[in-house]
Amino acid sequence: MSEVREVARKLLTDGTVRVIVGWEDARRGARPVFVTDPADTERLIFDTRCVHNLVTYLNPRRDNVAELGKIGLVVKGCDAKAVAGLLREAQLTRDDVVLIGVRCGGVLEEAELPKAASLSPENVAPRCYGCDNREPELVDHLLGESQPEPPRPVMTIDERVAALDAQPLEERWAFWTEQFSKCVRCYACRQVCPLCVCERCVAEKSRPQWIEAPPHPRGNLSWNITRALHLAGRCVDCGECERFCPVGIPLSLVNRKLQHIVAERYGYTVSDDPESPAPIGDYRLDDKQEFIK
Amino acid sequence: MTDATRETYFISDDDLRALAGDLLSAGTEVIAPVAVDVCASPSAIASSACLRPGVAPVDIEYRALADAAELDLSRGLPVLSLKQYFLPGHEALCCWRQHGTEVEIEAVPTTFAPRVVLAAKSCDSAALAIVDKVMNWDYQDELWNGRREATTIVNLACPVVDESCFCTAVGTAPDDVKGADALLTPVEGGYLMEATTDKGRVLMEAHGARFKAETDTHGAKHRGRQAAEERAAARARVAANLEIDAESVREWIDAHFEDPLLAALGVRCNGCGACSSVCPTCHCFDIVDEEEGIGKGTRRRCWDTCQAPTFTLHASGHNPRDDQHSRYRQRINHKFAIYPLKFGEVLCTGCGRCTRACHAGQDLVEILQAIDIAARRPDAAAAAVAGAEPAGS
Amino acid sequence: MSDAVDTSGAAADGFEPRITAFVCNWCTYTGADLAGTSRLHMASNVRIIRLPCTGRIDPLFIVKSFERGADGVIVSGCHPADCHYTSGNYHARRRFAVFHDLMEFVGVDPRRMTFSWVSASEGAKWRDVVDEAVANVRALGPFEAYRALAPEDAGVAAPAGARVEAEAS
Repeated sequence: MSEVREVARKLLTDGTVRVIVGWEDARRGARPVFVTDPADTERLIFDTRCVHNLVTYLNPRRDNVAELGKIGLVVKGCDAKAVAGLLREAQLTRDDVVLIGVRCGGVLEEAELPKAASLSPENVAPRCYGCDNREPELVDHLLGESQPEPPRPVMTIDERVAALDAQPLEERWAFWTEQFSKCVRCYACRQVCPLCVCERCVAEKSRPQWIEAPPHPRGNLSWNITRALHLAGRCVDCGECERFCPVGIPLSLVNRKLQHIVAERYGYTVSDDPESPAPIGDYRLDDKQEFIK
Repeated sequence: MTDATRETYFISDDDLRALAGDLLSAGTEVIAPVAVDVCASPSAIASSACLRPGVAPVDIEYRALADAAELDLSRGLPVLSLKQYFLPGHEALCCWRQHGTEVEIEAVPTTFAPRVVLAAKSCDSAALAIVDKVMNWDYQDELWNGRREATTIVNLACPVVDESCFCTAVGTAPDDVKGADALLTPVEGGYLMEATTDKGRVLMEAHGARFKAETDTHGAKHRGRQAAEERAAARARVAANLEIDAESVREWIDAHFEDPLLAALGVRCNGCGACSSVCPTCHCFDIVDEEEGIGKGTRRRCWDTCQAPTFTLHASGHNPRDDQHSRYRQRINHKFAIYPLKFGEVLCTGCGRCTRACHAGQDLVEILQAIDIAARRPDAAAAAVAGAEPAGS
Repeated sequence: MSDAVDTSGAAADGFEPRITAFVCNWCTYTGADLAGTSRLHMASNVRIIRLPCTGRIDPLFIVKSFERGADGVIVSGCHPADCHYTSGNYHARRRFAVFHDLMEFVGVDPRRMTFSWVSASEGAKWRDVVDEAVANVRALGPFEAYRALAPEDAGVAAPAGARVEAEAS
């Protein structure tokens, strides 16, 4: 997309940023690229394969990206919410990054495709349906034309969560313990998450060993509950945890459930406004407490 | 790997399944590729792929067969390699029990019941033979060796899965029998099977009724030609994906530790370690003690990955590999320089799982290509380097 | 509510619930102490772990309790507006609300997890909370579903497929 290339070239040429983090077309499809030479901005693309949430490269854990110099980052609306998350939690200052926003009409489920495809109920990333931030405000440049709404997937994430909610407890237990038992504890979900910012994860604490390290169902349940809880009210629904999971655990269903919980209990929806406080770490005197005796 | 004196037998498709059935009814564990319907109830909700009309997604996995009918001979690539059956994701090393000030240690058994792997991929069996070396280098890993000894592996010649396969570039092949005891090659109506070790011969002799000797008949000659053609075609297909000179690559890596090509590989890498989880040759593990109540517990080892910062974190707080560049370089270095220097073999069988598992776009085919060009054609290197490291840096 | 609770001892099947209670130092622990010094009769299935504040209670404590064989868990602290540290219980309330709902989604019966506010003067309320929690868990039975997640070779020194004497193959 020529506009992105133009802006990127200008930012690199006038020295505003030292590196542009965007997407390129590679041997196996779209992937992140780090452009430092203005001439290489020709490699930048933006199409429906640009699924990756590149904000993960702003995470304070990524010191090898930070050392490239000031970053210009291409973001979709969902990605901008993650930038807001980092700002909200003082993991980043707004001046650290130049945000190149792109108007987005949804992305595919998969990035590893030889060509971009137009979206259909069969191939659209389910999280895109009902997106409330397709034209991010938290950006320095907003590029591209307004896009139509993404198609409705064959079954929405909300419908899938509702289908699980409708099942009896034992069925849900069977479902989740089976899903989590597949986990090999590679921690891809954590590593790729733009908002998993802890320098040392609780999963790596061994005195005491809060979360059992071996990938048996008991340790896996503990890990997966903890990962989900630590993202309650923070998760921006970029879906990267699920996409990176090598064994296909449907983490987006847990994440979405937590979004429902904070929305119902605290009226909170995650946005790209860095000023709105996150619900966990905040409180109201009259919070619902029907579960407390 | 090719041995002209090997005897070849024919086994029909039905007889191969019956062989699996014979083994199962004799109480032998049979591990083989199984097509798992990832959308089987009640898990259908788990994957949005399951909700698309007309699509029935399956995962191929190595599993212990419950029934011979489960055996999947479609020759797709299992999600996880065979490694898990020799070095499980986690396993007990010993158990302890405290009696006052005394600690009683109970060792785990290191002998295992015989079992058979059917229709393994050559990249997976070869990986076992390669890892055998480190498992018997200084300390003899009894659990690994116990499982290796108890297992007879029958490979099934692979048709080559996709553009991320590169076994021929790292010294193996889609029809290799390294690490295996016998090889099946599909032909009209069934398979040609040849045993390449005593274990393989014992298996075939024990089930002789299922096999027909390939005598000097017209049909046998036809099948022999067919098998040879199929195997040659697969080799050619995979060779087209990547061709490198492993020796030059090793020398180059060894001499260019600080080279920008090698020292800047980690920029897009998320350090998730999914690559080492799915890798058939990654064998590093962590050891943890798990208490089971008061005064007793299990010492357990589980897979670990050099891509995690804690892998090398010292108690002092110092970390010799403290950024992702150095951790990713370690992965390449260990596989293509350190291991071959120590054990004479590349610690990679070209299965391509790491590339397929990486959704950040780390591509081992591309990286090896770039290193190979740097090693053999330094003038052309600049052009290829661009893809493997941040552009323009 | 305590009237209906059977606190007379072991159930017919011999199942005695094991319940871990995480309580704050300032209110519930003192309330439980009051229940004891007042010689209130209550179920004896609860092991109390005292912490400075409900805000100090990580949901992982509950997960860990289930891992280690608890059939039920109680979390209790100061009433809203009474927190010794001003707002620890408000933060805990949000955290445990989310945890409670998430665990229910994952399939854990919420009756295994009791949350309560018990002040230093509410010895009788503590007795009621304990008796009700014990009755609930007694009705649900042992938390076998969680124990079934334990690795097969835990504490038994026998990896899958292993045998002590190898037979000739």
